[in-house]
Amino acid sequence: MIRSPSKSEAKIIYDINVHGARLMGVSRRGFLTAGGTLAAVFAMGGRSAVARVNASKANLHAHSAATVNGWIEILSDNTVLLRTGKCDFGQSTIYTAYRQIVAEELCVPLEAMTEVVSGDTDRTPDGGGTFGLLRYGQNLRKVAALMREASLELAARRLAVPRANLSVREGVISGATKAISYGELLAGEDLHLVIPISGDLTMPMGLRVDADPPLKPVKDYTIIGKPVFNPSIAPKVTGKTVWVGDVTLPGMLHARTIHPATLGSTLIAPGKLDGKQFPGARLVRIGNLLAVVSPDEWEAVQAAQSVADGCEWSKWEGLPPSERLEDHLRMMATEDPTPVRDGRANKGNASSVKTTRELRASYLMPYHKHAPISPMVSLADYREDGSVWLHTHSQNPQHLRRMIALMLGSDEDKVVVRTYPGAGHYGRSNGGSAGSEDEAVLLSRELRRPVRVQWMRSDDMQWSTQSPAMISDIRIALDDAGRMAAYVASHIGPGMQDDRLVGALLAGMPVIPAPSPATTYGFQSTVLNMSDTWVYGTVPAVLEQAKGGAHPGQHEATDVVGLRSHSMRTPIQFQQNCPREIAISEAAMLAGKDPLQFRLDHVSDPRFVAILERLRTEAKWEDRPSPSPQAKSHGSDPVKGQGVSIMLRDNGYWACAAQVTVIPASGEVKVERMTIVADVGIVINPLQLRRQIQAGCLMGVSQALHEELSFDKGAVTAKDWTGYPILTMAEMPELKVVITDNPTVGIYGQGSESANALASPAIAAAVMDATGKPIRRIPLKPEYVRAAIKLHA
Amino acid sequence: MSTIVVNGQQRKVKASPDTPLLYVLRNELGVMGVKFGCGLAQCGACSVLLGDEEVRACVTPISALEGKPVTTVDGLPQRWASQKGKMSAGTLHPVQQAWIDEQVPQCGICQFGMMIKVTELLEANPKPTDQDIREALTTSGPSPHLCRCGSYAAILEGAHRAAKLMMQGESA
Repeated sequence: MIRSPSKSEAKIIYDINVHGARLMGVSRRGFLTAGGTLAAVFAMGGRSAVARVNASKANLHAHSAATVNGWIEILSDNTVLLRTGKCDFGQSTIYTAYRQIVAEELCVPLEAMTEVVSGDTDRTPDGGGTFGLLRYGQNLRKVAALMREASLELAARRLAVPRANLSVREGVISGATKAISYGELLAGEDLHLVIPISGDLTMPMGLRVDADPPLKPVKDYTIIGKPVFNPSIAPKVTGKTVWVGDVTLPGMLHARTIHPATLGSTLIAPGKLDGKQFPGARLVRIGNLLAVVSPDEWEAVQAAQSVADGCEWSKWEGLPPSERLEDHLRMMATEDPTPVRDGRANKGNASSVKTTRELRASYLMPYHKHAPISPMVSLADYREDGSVWLHTHSQNPQHLRRMIALMLGSDEDKVVVRTYPGAGHYGRSNGGSAGSEDEAVLLSRELRRPVRVQWMRSDDMQWSTQSPAMISDIRIALDDAGRMAAYVASHIGPGMQDDRLVGALLAGMPVIPAPSPATTYGFQSTVLNMSDTWVYGTVPAVLEQAKGGAHPGQHEATDVVGLRSHSMRTPIQFQQNCPREIAISEAAMLAGKDPLQFRLDHVSDPRFVAILERLRTEAKWEDRPSPSPQAKSHGSDPVKGQGVSIMLRDNGYWACAAQVTVIPASGEVKVERMTIVADVGIVINPLQLRRQIQAGCLMGVSQALHEELSFDKGAVTAKDWTGYPILTMAEMPELKVVITDNPTVGIYGQGSESANALASPAIAAAVMDATGKPIRRIPLKPEYVRAAIKLHA
Repeated sequence: MSTIVVNGQQRKVKASPDTPLLYVLRNELGVMGVKFGCGLAQCGACSVLLGDEEVRACVTPISALEGKPVTTVDGLPQRWASQKGKMSAGTLHPVQQAWIDEQVPQCGICQFGMMIKVTELLEANPKPTDQDIREALTTSGPSPHLCRCGSYAAILEGAHRAAKLMMQGESA
């Protein structure tokens, strides 16, 4: 602390180093009677933090996150405000786990965490995509720890008690018979804790805190581990929440986009808009981006349909039809220049291991849709000064802002993205865009009116991105004792992400680089990583490889959209874990072993041993080899089967058992019971984690039984829920979720992913157990099950 | 100009008679507890009660209302209050309260229709079995009520809790 050169004795400038952060500010105690804050702001490491903060605070007209008061603000009324650039997609993490983590580190009651501001580019910091929330949530945990430490430093000075003698509990700092609350400590203060960060706010990964403050010991936790309610639920079920589709602006026009006939067509002639029938409607064309707008939404819907019927689009046949998907992926494997990536667990000379018993099989994973229940909707307001306000539902608003600015050729500070609750779309916008946002901006700029673009169900099915397919060739060699001697896997599939704005592509406007082997921009790579963590540590020889490539149609021409990829819940790992786990079950079958015991025999991590043993009990697993002694591959009598799968993701250990009934003659599969045992480390909120896992598991059952995107040579042919069916409530199996709290590992558990990826391999294995026939393709539609039985008759 | 009854109130409507109820409720009357899902009566996100029957607002033109009152999620507290003979809607409907107590929603966009369908069920069948609830949300209407997040297990628990709250005549 240094004395200010000011005439006033009461004005003190703080400049205190707190574990690499700088506590700075002015005390005006004695001058102000109310107010006071401590706010965490951020500054790039290695630069002048003070200058940067002052500059950004002075630049009040720039709608930049640099002007906001950072992550956490402690107010003099003892409440705490939390800001995050992440959004809620239904997992509730930012309203539950984030509040619990921050309250825990600050040592304040949870009730003090009164407000969470999220996902608005002018009001929230850090950016980055909404994924791995608890991994990247370390940002908030560290900021909270730094705030606590800074407050302790302040209190030491105020109370004249050595820092080492102070502790904080329930929002009160005390030591040596003296005590002061956060609120009392901060009254009259205007303090900033300047936190070093690295990264780039508007790039897909956002900012990262570059400091390592002491974190509260796990054994002292009082708030983490409690079943805290999600405060965003009550306003949703009472109709008070403003959802993205509910936002309106004065003078707003409703738009419906008329998307091309195929994913590569150009517009030859738009259909006619009948001015007599639709007097309020207007047709807008920007390149191949065509839309109808009207002040009346129903008129826009009808007029767009009428115009669409009369449009003439060029013919384009640049896709392999979905029934030729496997051939296309094989061709991509040999012709696409994208390099092969090796798995991190590769060891030994797996390819040369020779045995008398081995499994050689290929597994096909289909394209999946994110398939939000409501199609995307965005409202854009392009203003006379060239600024844009975009109201939408995005998992990465800062990168969306960057892409909108790029499209318009404007400064990023001219673009503000505000986000609202919307239909969950499970990763589709973690690079910023899920669809409709850019179209709304372009139409608003064209018309100089606020424009709301609501995609219809068919737009969302046909023009959004999709989770890409994969074909996996797997070889498992067994030794004489029936143990795995070698595991060789080659996974082939298109790159996982293309964040280019589809409306900008249609309009011929600038976009971020297309996916390629060479690009280093964001996730725009055709390289496919080996993402499924290897878990069978006792296998002596392992060779895992992944071969990526361009998405279908991508290289046809520059203005072609093609079948764009995008990561979806448990991305890449879903596609790689499913074939691995089915193959492991097949290998157990070949070895004549119980597939659960076979896994126990090959895992090396005691956390897997513990959850597999637990699964055996919880699932009422029958200890026996597979197939079942009652297995049948013909007839109309139902046969029962059981299957198991495991996964390691983000330090979370997962085991799943499926019990099914199969009618061999028809190929019908009924999932009777799903059991999941999860050891995800420290459980922050058992109530919300359970709900996430239950829901994720059912999404997984949906993927296992139904989901497969169909397309022809030009377009996605699924237009609605009949073309892309998902699980119904009547099909819900009995569901058991067991969460084993494991605080000793010191890592926060994540539940919003993994659970959905466990069902497919467990259910496929259960069908193999019931029928005795290999199942190497999902979904388990009756025709595919019948075909699998016939193939191996 | 026509008149429709929405959440206990007579409302004058300018929209043409062929306009689906969904757009009239949201855009003309500002009743937002009804959501666009598919526009095809395939998902149930837009469900409302027409009298005592669940219908899909996205395909129901206002000309088809036949004077029957419309209830959306926004009007459930009022509906519950009038069923209990109370004047004001001071409490939540038991279905809404159960949805909070059981922390049912994930993203929540389908829950507007889910709550409407469960309200319809419980008014006709106060003690439903698991099977009754599954059938109500799958086969009883023009299409299944779809939840992409997979909250069906929570919905089942929510529906049972709502039934208990209704039997007790209680809510928040």
